[in-house]
Amino acid sequence: MNPIRKKRVYNILTVLLFSVSGIALILFSLNSKLDYFFTPTELMNKTFPIDKRIKLGGMVLNGSVKRASSNISFIVTDYTNRINVEYEGILPDLFKEDSGVVVLGYLNNQTVYAEEVLAKHDENYMPPNIEVINDN
Amino acid sequence: MIIEISHFLSILATGLFFLVGYFGLFIKSHNTKYFSNLVARTYSHGFLFLISSFIIYIWLAITDNFSVEYIASHSNSALPIFYKISSIWSAHEGSMFLWIVFLSLWGFIFNIRVHNDEILKSKSIGVISFVLVGFLIFLLWTSNPFNTILPIAPLNGADINPVLQDPALAIHPPTLYLGYVGFVIPFACAISFLLHGNSEIKWELLVRKWSVAAWIFLTAGITLGSWWAYYELGWGGYWFWDPVENVALMPWLAATAFLHSLSVSIKSSQLRIWTILLSILVFSLSLFGAFIVRSGIIDSVHSFANDPDRGLYLLAFIGLIIFISISLFILRLSNIQSVSKIQKFSKQSFISINNILFGTLIFSVMLGVTYPLIYEFIFGQKISVGAPFYNAIFIPIVILACIFLFFSIESKWSRNINIRLNIPILLSILFSTIFTVFVMIFFQTKNIAILCSIFAGALIIFRYIQEILNYISVKKFVNPFSVIAHMALGLLIISIAFNSLLSSERAMNVVFNEAEKYKDLTIVLKNLGVENNSNYDSVKATFFVKDLKGNSFNLYPEKRRYFTRGQITTETAIHTTVLRDIYMTIGEQLDDGSWVVNIQINYLIRWIWISAMLMGFAGLLLIVSKRYKT
Repeated sequence: MNPIRKKRVYNILTVLLFSVSGIALILFSLNSKLDYFFTPTELMNKTFPIDKRIKLGGMVLNGSVKRASSNISFIVTDYTNRINVEYEGILPDLFKEDSGVVVLGYLNNQTVYAEEVLAKHDENYMPPNIEVINDN
Repeated sequence: MIIEISHFLSILATGLFFLVGYFGLFIKSHNTKYFSNLVARTYSHGFLFLISSFIIYIWLAITDNFSVEYIASHSNSALPIFYKISSIWSAHEGSMFLWIVFLSLWGFIFNIRVHNDEILKSKSIGVISFVLVGFLIFLLWTSNPFNTILPIAPLNGADINPVLQDPALAIHPPTLYLGYVGFVIPFACAISFLLHGNSEIKWELLVRKWSVAAWIFLTAGITLGSWWAYYELGWGGYWFWDPVENVALMPWLAATAFLHSLSVSIKSSQLRIWTILLSILVFSLSLFGAFIVRSGIIDSVHSFANDPDRGLYLLAFIGLIIFISISLFILRLSNIQSVSKIQKFSKQSFISINNILFGTLIFSVMLGVTYPLIYEFIFGQKISVGAPFYNAIFIPIVILACIFLFFSIESKWSRNINIRLNIPILLSILFSTIFTVFVMIFFQTKNIAILCSIFAGALIIFRYIQEILNYISVKKFVNPFSVIAHMALGLLIISIAFNSLLSSERAMNVVFNEAEKYKDLTIVLKNLGVENNSNYDSVKATFFVKDLKGNSFNLYPEKRRYFTRGQITTETAIHTTVLRDIYMTIGEQLDDGSWVVNIQINYLIRWIWISAMLMGFAGLLLIVSKRYKT
């Protein structure tokens, strides 16, 4: 190989090396920082490391919301299985019994300790993966 | 009748823009003067038709013409005129209409400001016109705002979402759109430069002020959106890494890199390939943003109604634009090689590093936005990418960029000067270290990310302060735009760092006339009243708040129920001082009669927006300055 071509090959290799390792680093950090989205059924009998944040989506079970000072507990259901949720704070305006909710938090003993509770800004919003036949 | 006139005018404009595009790009004539005049005039007429159509549409909205389906479903006769107008861009069809009108407006101003002799003008106007045609067909075909409900129009409209009845939100989308579509000018000029294929043409010089102007609107639009979300949504943050925020951030990052790269290309005809690629990237990312928001492909608080047709059309259109631009770029690649190599440690070399760092940021955000889609497609598992990922990428890269910026201040255009540890550099490092150590001890923090950010931000600010002092004492040249924008960056980083270090929140129960303590504040619920307004009822609380220094003030958080939709909204109460915001929202009443309230103390949050506005101000100075004529 002549020197110019050799230099060019080296240049290309360096650029490739840097971009591949950069992309690998980004993907690596991405994979360790994902929030997994589950329905109550998918969450049954699963355990996660206590510091692994998860997302739970489902419907708030009718009559399950209980308050004790600023602590709130309720049950999220996909009409097959149920998961308890504990939360301290103010619920969003659109939070209602029998309507959709997304909870961000940590799972321990089949209870999700919520960091954030989200209800969608759209009143017709349904969490994904859930089909509700009736809405009485 | 008047609806049909408005509708017809838009169709007419589409036809005219098509002609302009055809004349501008495909007709080869010896009589170039005649043709450039023809293109310019026809474009102006097309714009005149489109803007008339839009003005009539505004008139329809003001006069409550509910036989227009879109107006009937998004406006209401009880609304003030201001919100009747802003209801036009509160949902998909109308905001798309506004987007297109703004696109044609940029083209129109470009058309009248740039002389017909300018070699790139006709082709640029042609490119803009074809983009307009693409969007107009999209508007009229898949999301027609002129659809009517005939013969019997509803008596009243369905009202606009109360969260959107807010001055900041009425201004935020138009500002942002002006920014997005403004980048059609550098894009069109880059494409017409590639079409000409003559590398002697200085397209970069032509687009400088246009690009800066669009960048200002983008900056202001994002800042307004952030401010609105802060006080209206009641979550109390300034940035949520929501997909729609991310798709606005990507063009901003690309545009910022583009402006830097542009300055090099103007100064010394280097980095031209970067500049062209970035101009294509900025515009593509703006269109990609439109696609993400419109298609409903990604769950977000912003997403409009889901419609696969719209998504598909937009995706195909964006794909076509990117395909044509990149093919053209590859064809002409050999023509636009830079004239000379970049010297080590010159300003140019630092700006190339900046390009790479910004490219990495854009790539990461793009990955964060699209990864949930890819992941679900491959593994069938729903995931979301949140703040932890973006923090892990942004913090180190921004700190790195600050350090390069810090050393670049010393550097010169096109010259390799050894960067020595001279007095300004050493002094800045010394002051920043003292400042960081002070923060570490005083606030008892060992958070590396925060301390490094504070150090990096301080480095820039201290370094530029010395530049300013040098300018005052020995008239050493400084670039005022660069100084203001970069000091604003330093301020932004420090504000964000302090905000995440010091801010705190707590939900608590309060009982009438019983003092609650939080940090240095004492909070008493004094009063609770029900108010009836024209379109909503509200529960309004009065809190008396006192801090340790004896300052006291009242806060009035509210909960509203709007009549037309029965929607409940939270109105936050905010007390602002120079350094911090006391931010309060009220929740529900418990069975024992007490109320849940959420209180946040947000430090330096105003300074985040002030620094962003300062960056925009630097751009504004550049536009009005006499130093740059074009």
